[in-house]
Amino acid sequence: MLSIKHLSAGVDGKAILKGIDLEVRAGEVHAVMGPNGSGKSTLAHILAGRDGYTVTDGEVRYMGRDLLGMEIEERARQGVFLAMQYPVELPGVNNMTFLRESMNAIRKSRGEEEMDAVSFMKLVREKARQVKLDEKLLKRSVNTGFSGGEKKRNEILQMAVLEPFLAILDETDSGLDIDALRNVADGVNRLRSPHRAMIVVTHYQRLLDYLEPDHVHVLAGGRIVRSGGKELALELEAKGYGWLLEEVAA
Amino acid sequence: MNQMIRDYQQTAMRYIDSLHEAGGDRLTGRRQAAARRFAELGFPHTRTEAWRYTGIEGLMQRGFELTERDEAFPRHAVMRRFLREPTAARLVFVDGRYQADLSDTGLAGVRVGSLREAVAVGDRQVLEAVGSLSGLGDHGFAALNLATLQDGAVIRVSAGVTVQQPIELLHLAGKGAAGRAMRPRHLVMLEADASANLVERYLALDGETAYFNNLVCEITLAERASLVHQRIQQESAQAYHLCDIHLGLQGKAHYQGINAAVGGVWSRTRIHCRFTDPGAGCELDGLYLAGEGQLTDFHLDVDHAAPHCDSRENFKGILHGGGKAVFDGLIQVREQAQKSNAHLSNANLMLSRRAEVDTKPQLQIYADDVQCSHGASVGRLDEQAMFYLRSRGFDKGQARRLLCLGFANEIVERFQSAPLREQLSEVIGQRLEE
Ligand SMILES: Nc1ncnc2c1ncn2[C@@H]1O[C@H](COP(=O)(O)OP(=O)(O)OP(=O)(O)O)[C@@H](O)[C@H]1O
Ligand SMILES: [Mg+2]
Repeated sequence: MLSIKHLSAGVDGKAILKGIDLEVRAGEVHAVMGPNGSGKSTLAHILAGRDGYTVTDGEVRYMGRDLLGMEIEERARQGVFLAMQYPVELPGVNNMTFLRESMNAIRKSRGEEEMDAVSFMKLVREKARQVKLDEKLLKRSVNTGFSGGEKKRNEILQMAVLEPFLAILDETDSGLDIDALRNVADGVNRLRSPHRAMIVVTHYQRLLDYLEPDHVHVLAGGRIVRSGGKELALELEAKGYGWLLEEVAA
Repeated sequence: MNQMIRDYQQTAMRYIDSLHEAGGDRLTGRRQAAARRFAELGFPHTRTEAWRYTGIEGLMQRGFELTERDEAFPRHAVMRRFLREPTAARLVFVDGRYQADLSDTGLAGVRVGSLREAVAVGDRQVLEAVGSLSGLGDHGFAALNLATLQDGAVIRVSAGVTVQQPIELLHLAGKGAAGRAMRPRHLVMLEADASANLVERYLALDGETAYFNNLVCEITLAERASLVHQRIQQESAQAYHLCDIHLGLQGKAHYQGINAAVGGVWSRTRIHCRFTDPGAGCELDGLYLAGEGQLTDFHLDVDHAAPHCDSRENFKGILHGGGKAVFDGLIQVREQAQKSNAHLSNANLMLSRRAEVDTKPQLQIYADDVQCSHGASVGRLDEQAMFYLRSRGFDKGQARRLLCLGFANEIVERFQSAPLREQLSEVIGQRLEE
């Protein structure tokens, strides 16, 4: 589904990613871990199409297409979804309207029919219940004045409604209380299917306990320095990154 | 005196004479005085501070006529534009002329009708009210409005009466407006403890007709009276629109004005409020939208000359293409106006590098025990927000539209009438996806 080859990228001449290789097949969940500043969000942003990064080498193919050549919205319409580390506030933009128009923009681009307001309302209510997002937040402006945890739940709600093929979650678990973490994990697990794949960026083992990723990667200094199964995450939890970085350096 | 001003004055004088000859006119004296005032003032020019950024060359070059023309118009097109909600009364003007058969004036406790008719029958209260707040005019156009005044609305609400449903004041410009200057004047008088909700709109039957609407509005609120005044200026793309609103608020009266200026090639709205009695309040919200070739101007002039009065102003503008806006908000708090609350803010969203805004929020405070604030901002679309929206499947145009609607929403939702909120959101959406 997603194939990243030798991806190198940076900002203003500063190299951040230095040759990333990653294969993500449909049905898989990949966890990406790594120290602060190692380039995890940069990778997530580049996959979603954010401006400001320069790709200096490598390529990314998504469902057989050149992902990096696609507009941001085109990626979203083809099923790429990024749950952001810092979701953006949109004052004055009603959350419900935003979600409905988003869904309809995606549907329309696929030649599907738009969903009417009533059916949509029903759908969103149900999904909001699943991710335990207070319905009142649907009537407010997108993320505006939401607590940190509410913003993250709102991202998961969007993911649940939009049903992406490739979901990238950038530290969606950070700053969540234990119940919220559970809800986020449930949201991700519910979406799991043989047709979808997920890349979950996290610093914590706890989320991975719930998610049971197929692969765990450690990103350090702009490279994937180690890949393994879910036991790698347990090892990192116990020992930290120090030993790994030393091993790599050696 | 320059030749052009002399010509205009003579035209005005001829107009006044023709009214007089046509069977007498109870405003002749005042009209003549206003014509003389016009000759003294001339037309405003950019050397005066209040007109510094608002040139009138385009308006003068077109040279609109004072003549009246009774052009037929499609009634259904007018009716289609009626406010889509139950109204307490409706006054309809097409090309500056009152349309009695399209209006609806019957309601207990409320007296609404045409200014021309009230003057013709010698209605004393109306005769006294004309010019009572505006004077003869403090700029040439206002003086010309009075000198050559045509018609307008008179709205009077009796003491203690609450009118729940909106009173609609609808102005339409059709083919009969082409090339003409219209000079309406509205008088709104609420007696003590009365309250009402006025919806005033300027719309075009045809999107490209060129005309000039030069209007004045005098609003008097007696003790504890309260008026909600929802205004939308959506003139044709070639229209010039000039509006002076004068507010006279007596003790504890409350005025809430919600304004939107989205049409016209050139438009200027000035709201003047002078507090002379304690405990009155004035809230002004506004939204303006200007694109290629358009200029929009709001001038607010709030004068705290009595203690314990509150004023709050919040204006927001969206400028795109080569759109231009002027915002000038002046709050004066005089020495005697202790315990005043005065807050003014203006925010502008620039969608293009060619768009331009001149914003000047000013506070002049001479009293010490007051709470005042003012601020202005000029910003662009937030890049992070654009990315966020696009990553949810919106293309650039849709994302821009949603962000602009979000920006405008704070003002749009001040409009109490749902159809007006919808109308505005639609206009903003359409204009910004272009
Ligand atoms: N726009 C930018 N301009 C300059 N430097 C940037 C920019 N974006 C990222 N960087 C730098 O690139 C490096 C990687 O940042 P990134 O946000 O990808 O790290 P991360 O792995 O997500 O870290 P964290 O775990 O703290 O979220 C950091 O040193 C960061 O300061
Ligand atoms: Mg990060």
